[in-house]
Amino acid sequence: MSKDHQHKILAHTGSVCPVCLKALAAVRRQEGDAVFLIKNCPEHGEFRTCIWRGKITMPSWQRPKKPSAPRSPVAVTEKGCPFDCGLCSAHGQHTCTALLEITARCNLRCKVCFADAGSGSGQDPSLARISVLYDEILRASGPCNIQLSGGEPTMRDDLAEIIRLGRRKGFSFLQLNTNGIRLGLDASYARSLQEAGLASVFLQFDGISDDVHQAIRGKALAALKEQAIIHCGAAGLGVVLVPTIIPGINTGQIGEIVRYGARFSPVVRGVHFQPVSYFGRYPAPPLDQDRITLPEIMEQLARQCEGEIRTEHFAPPACEHALCSFHANYLLQPDGSLQALGAGRQACCSTSNACDPLPTAMEGRDKSVSFTARQWAAPDVCDAPVDPAASVDDLDIFLRRAQTHRFSISGMAFQDAWNLDLERLQGCCIHVISPEGKLIPFCAYNLTSTEGRSLYRMAEAP
Amino acid sequence: MSTFSFISQTTWRCAPCNQELQPEKVNVSYMGSVFTVELMVCSTCGFVLIPEDLAMGKMHAVEQLLEDK
Repeated sequence: MSKDHQHKILAHTGSVCPVCLKALAAVRRQEGDAVFLIKNCPEHGEFRTCIWRGKITMPSWQRPKKPSAPRSPVAVTEKGCPFDCGLCSAHGQHTCTALLEITARCNLRCKVCFADAGSGSGQDPSLARISVLYDEILRASGPCNIQLSGGEPTMRDDLAEIIRLGRRKGFSFLQLNTNGIRLGLDASYARSLQEAGLASVFLQFDGISDDVHQAIRGKALAALKEQAIIHCGAAGLGVVLVPTIIPGINTGQIGEIVRYGARFSPVVRGVHFQPVSYFGRYPAPPLDQDRITLPEIMEQLARQCEGEIRTEHFAPPACEHALCSFHANYLLQPDGSLQALGAGRQACCSTSNACDPLPTAMEGRDKSVSFTARQWAAPDVCDAPVDPAASVDDLDIFLRRAQTHRFSISGMAFQDAWNLDLERLQGCCIHVISPEGKLIPFCAYNLTSTEGRSLYRMAEAP
Repeated sequence: MSTFSFISQTTWRCAPCNQELQPEKVNVSYMGSVFTVELMVCSTCGFVLIPEDLAMGKMHAVEQLLEDK
């Protein structure tokens, strides 16, 4: 293959300088089987970051949608993307999930933490302030899914009241982003949150063995995580396992995490992988070998769950930008095997040009909101006894099993100051409600420079 | 795995073949998943009758579960 074929500009986009956070033009450049985001800061030089690596090519991973601006964008955009987030009229997607950070406190001190939790001495927002923030989400985006986050939200003793308040405001799906320590220690705690109206637990779950938890979280947590899952199951809460995947630490457990989650189905509703990002708190500026990209995780899933998971099962998202995530759904069979549901990549536009008419961003967002609420909450189980004499066909058997044992496998790649791609940012549907009441794309909110300077989190934009 | 399910007395006939419909096992596939069910079929040309309540009921529910988000 000639060099011209090996090196090809795939797209022009924008980014920032990781050192000074100045806005920069950037390109996505294919080099062999990897794609790099390349940008040049007049002051700090060129930055090249691997953003895609593997046999699933970036040009094949598409899901175009018609952008749709926020319903009440911020009136003034002075500095341009990503400095005027709030959201502005250049944003192309609505809120699917709004993150509400209810504390900066944490009972762990992890080596990696997007929120750099436990470092500050800031006060928790009051219940009255949280009420205002809920209202602000409703005003700006309408009803959407809510994720209560932090810090570690279970540090607050009034968490159940915060959940009740959210439900009273009209949010039907509330999820808790947690390390699971309190849920694991206290059997009655999960029930109190479920009774308050919580639907789902987004459980930090980096691996199945203590060496992984020790390496990333600084504590042996395997037994506590399992207790948390058991307590959530008894309380009627759905659980999603959320591993942060870090090269050299837990890439070898990707398949085992899926099998572990499947063992706890239907309490565990799926696994949501997050490749490590370098924002907030992290040990050192990243080299390309410190990153794992979405296609590499899909390939590892196929390799480590050979025979059950294939890379063709995975599809790009209908809601967020195609390059931000992948997902596939499975039916967990009684023998513990996973059977793929749906047509994977064939079902969307990535392998065909016959995508007419182009769906709107809003349609994708609506699908995602309802799918997430349905899949990540505990299943509605019909307790009616099955009449053994009744006629049963394949469709009945499928429907009965799928009602409880559908299992989702997904992954989402966050962006940091090195790999930030403004086209992706403008398609973002995961928005943090800031303490000031502005909705800000998750990756912009958490972006930090090499010197630890933040664009939005407790900071003024440059 | 499949037993009697959607076979029933019906007034529908296969018009081109002028045949009564007979119960037969049929593979129904959607988005890569295959289900075996018994339906009324024209044994000459293979025409399959899918009654409205099946199409709007169980089949619709299965489609929704299989469809991508």
